[in-house]
Amino acid sequence: MSAVLELQSPVAFHLTGKRSGTDLAPVIERGLRPATLAQYRDLTELRYGFPLVLQRQRAGEASSASLSELIDQALKADTGPEPGRLRAHAHRLEREIRRALAEGVGGTLGELITKAVARIPAGDARLAESTARLQKQLKAEGVLLDCDGKMPARVIAHAWEAAQQERLDAFRADVEGLVLKLSDILRADDARSHSARTPQNLKAGFGSTHAEVFDFEGMSRLLAKGIPAGGLSPARRARIERTLEALRGQRLYAGEEGARAYSFRFASCAAALGAFRERAPALARLGRAITIARLEIDGAYSEPRHDPLFEQLGESALDARDLAAFPDYLVCLNTGTMTASEQAELMEILAGGLPMKILVQTDDILAPPQFQSGHLGFGARARQIASMALGLQDVFVLQSSASNFPHCVAAIDRAMRYRGAALFSVYSGASPHAPGLTAYLNAAAAMESRAFPAFAYDPAAGRDWAARFTIEYNPQPERDWPLHRLEYEDAGHQRVVEEHAFTLLDYIACDRRFSEHFAQVPRAAWNESLAPVSDCLDAEAGGIPGRLPSLAMVDSSDRLQKVVVDERLLREARRCRDLWRNLQEFAGIHNSHVARALAQAQAQAKVEPQAAPASPQAAQASPQAAPAAVATPAIEAQAKPSSDEPYIETPRCSTCNECTQINNRMFAYDENKQARIVDATAGTYRQLVEAAESCQVAIIHPGKPKNLNEPGLEELMKRAEAFN
Amino acid sequence: MNMLATECLLQLVEERHALEDYQSGVPRWCSGCGDNAILAAVQRLCRDEGLRPEKTVFVSGIGCSSRFPHYMRTYGFHGIHGRALPVAEGVRLARPDLNVFVNTGDGDCCSIGAAHWIHAIRYNMNMTVFLHDNQIYGLTKMQASPTSPRGTKSNTTPRGSTLEALQPLSVTLGVQNVSFVAQAVDWIPELLFEVVKAAYHHKGLSFVRIVQRCPEWLPKVWDPWLHDPQRIQLLAHPKGLMPSAGVSSVYRNRIEHDPSNLNRARELAGNVDEIPVGILYHDPSVPCYEDLRRSTTPRTREYIQAGLEAELDKVTVWPGGAS
Repeated sequence: MSAVLELQSPVAFHLTGKRSGTDLAPVIERGLRPATLAQYRDLTELRYGFPLVLQRQRAGEASSASLSELIDQALKADTGPEPGRLRAHAHRLEREIRRALAEGVGGTLGELITKAVARIPAGDARLAESTARLQKQLKAEGVLLDCDGKMPARVIAHAWEAAQQERLDAFRADVEGLVLKLSDILRADDARSHSARTPQNLKAGFGSTHAEVFDFEGMSRLLAKGIPAGGLSPARRARIERTLEALRGQRLYAGEEGARAYSFRFASCAAALGAFRERAPALARLGRAITIARLEIDGAYSEPRHDPLFEQLGESALDARDLAAFPDYLVCLNTGTMTASEQAELMEILAGGLPMKILVQTDDILAPPQFQSGHLGFGARARQIASMALGLQDVFVLQSSASNFPHCVAAIDRAMRYRGAALFSVYSGASPHAPGLTAYLNAAAAMESRAFPAFAYDPAAGRDWAARFTIEYNPQPERDWPLHRLEYEDAGHQRVVEEHAFTLLDYIACDRRFSEHFAQVPRAAWNESLAPVSDCLDAEAGGIPGRLPSLAMVDSSDRLQKVVVDERLLREARRCRDLWRNLQEFAGIHNSHVARALAQAQAQAKVEPQAAPASPQAAQASPQAAPAAVATPAIEAQAKPSSDEPYIETPRCSTCNECTQINNRMFAYDENKQARIVDATAGTYRQLVEAAESCQVAIIHPGKPKNLNEPGLEELMKRAEAFN
Repeated sequence: MNMLATECLLQLVEERHALEDYQSGVPRWCSGCGDNAILAAVQRLCRDEGLRPEKTVFVSGIGCSSRFPHYMRTYGFHGIHGRALPVAEGVRLARPDLNVFVNTGDGDCCSIGAAHWIHAIRYNMNMTVFLHDNQIYGLTKMQASPTSPRGTKSNTTPRGSTLEALQPLSVTLGVQNVSFVAQAVDWIPELLFEVVKAAYHHKGLSFVRIVQRCPEWLPKVWDPWLHDPQRIQLLAHPKGLMPSAGVSSVYRNRIEHDPSNLNRARELAGNVDEIPVGILYHDPSVPCYEDLRRSTTPRTREYIQAGLEAELDKVTVWPGGAS
């Protein structure tokens, strides 16, 4: 009797969430963690993507890079002796840097290398030499960041600054070039004016050394005579001066005139929007000035044509792409503190395609949703914002866990250079509810479990979803859940290798708030009915289940434990899997349309050999049935007029003027300057024959004479025969 | 995709010109001269590409062909003998906004200007060079030029020239950094135009040798090729030119030639029995000298003045010794 009860208590827990036996302990209290995470207890011993180095950027480089990657590159670049020793020392230094960072020591790469060397006990005399060699090859320098709650904003801001600087440098060079060239136009005009040639100005332009030996009065009299007529019109001069003023008065970077440059970094959408609206007229004026300047420099400004257009061109004429030369705004938000109005403003920015890069950071994706809707709704807000942005089509969207940052630096940099709005939806992993997991591990587990899948949508990458959308950052993106190898020793001391799917529930099991949904099953009660969660998801709900969804977890001494999950969470896992499948379809994995079309095509292929295609569409699709459409090159048949009429093979005329000089009323050039006969009666048959004879390329055919009374006709017709 | 408002405004200035708008004066060339065909093809290019006359310059040296700039209503620079290319390079450096064309003859380019020619190819500055090759000095009334065929009787070689003719295409294809080499004949206007157009669109120095008849001094020299279409070898390739069906029906000697194949191009260039017509060589990846050397420092008044002062200070004699 008691055995039956023990067996049934996990079932009862699964169905009701109620613990009937004392043996079904909550997992967090027992210090359990998913078995897959067993090997990640001390991250400082691992070589992985963090810390990140915020690189002081050189052209063509990524804004940040992983320390391990940089060290590997340096090791590869080194060609000195004993590469094995260098590698060992480099990895030792790397480990010390990770430990130092974990203890809260900060600094740049150079500083941390020095600190790491100091932490390694003296004894290896060659460490200093290895360090020097390594530093020689390490091209990068910059602040090191470990994965924590502040990291995403710093990485995004760093990438933004790098892109901004690039853009501002180009903008500045452009504006300064325009100012220089516009000033040159005015200066050239001044130099040609009367005032420039007065004795005083001539003297001032000459310098003082030999001024006394020149007669500037005489020089002025002489030079004043040669002033060319027609300088700048007053309207053009005024326009150039206005344009110069607008260019010099720009406030995108600090100019010489001391105007303070705008700030483009904001902590709320409202502030960013406010600044954007306030600056719009000034930016429109600047955009207009730049266009006018280009036209003026090119000498292409036409007053009757351009004046009315520029008058009509208000600020609305500048769209996001026009603004691309100007700096972008950066707004950093956190879903934890985001109000509904803030969210509305965010949507306004994204929908308007304003040039803003927005980071929406989530620190807790398992936080209860604002509106209870019957399900747990993990990460609801972040997901909602990202999917709305995806729907807008022209917003660059990057969703990623912080742990994935080392792999998506290139996408971040691309987003910063995208003309238009970009949204970064990031889960930092810095949740206080997951004891025992670092922010990195928490974030990585969220991505691994599809709770917070990573994807990128780059509207500039192409025209279709295949080119724009990717979920390649996720582990094993073609599967529902990623599989991990689990090796352990069983009770009989035998090595067991199993593959475990890391599901949403493995992730949720780490969170203290959901402890009540999990129950540890005593070893004595383990039996065949305890099945992996991934195998239970497709089971029909209702009735007593034949299999109980369970997780493999380990306790603090790494002993394998089994944990049963209640039905409510199983529903969440199912929902999470469906959302993930949705994303897969967007990315072209297991696409239902393709599968359907493929099935149809296969079915048709089976039918076709038996029956001839009945429908016209099928006939078109079948290559055998289609008429052989052999492309025959169209040979241009030159329609020759009858040999009685004079004519010229105009396309072959080499414009040598022979015929037109004989009679320019009979022969004339067409729009390509090639000869044709415009009026055969405008001259004599003799002229026609002479033209044919003198034609360099022999393309004139005189035909038969019209006027039979022309003298010497017989001889002329004989001469013409060679050309007809 | 919609065009930006500012782009629209910038493009408003595009003006269409007729061919006659590029014509200036009546050419003084003899009737029957191949220069006329080249002029017509170039004017057609200007019209079709909508080149603004004030943004286009033709630079030439000395000779019949070098009168070319006089007949174009654009900027022009009738230079000195053999020095068309250095002048054009100067124009290119000082005015990168201009379309630069060079007209030079076989005497001008291949004799007195040979050194400039070689180095202009190596510098690969963005310009289009037309070598009007009529194999004779025409303006000075018939002296043998470097490209005159052996045995040419002229005022300087009354018993016939003694040396083999120089092959301008072979020489050009032997120089480092060569990026575009083509050949046309003045009597196939359609191909002449297509070659001129392809040369204009190449970024870098495009060298086009145009085989040209001189009806005055060497009236018969090209007759064997003029009267036998088989001796014109059309070079066809999707990467080069694809002669039209009309042209191909007259000139049936047509071969496939990939213009990125330099060795094959050199082989073809040495062919004197047949005249290869089309693009012999094209490598768009060769960098232009002006791009390699373009300074990013704005040429402000102060910058220029400081540079000049520094240069002049090097040779200044300071009264009472240097301070």
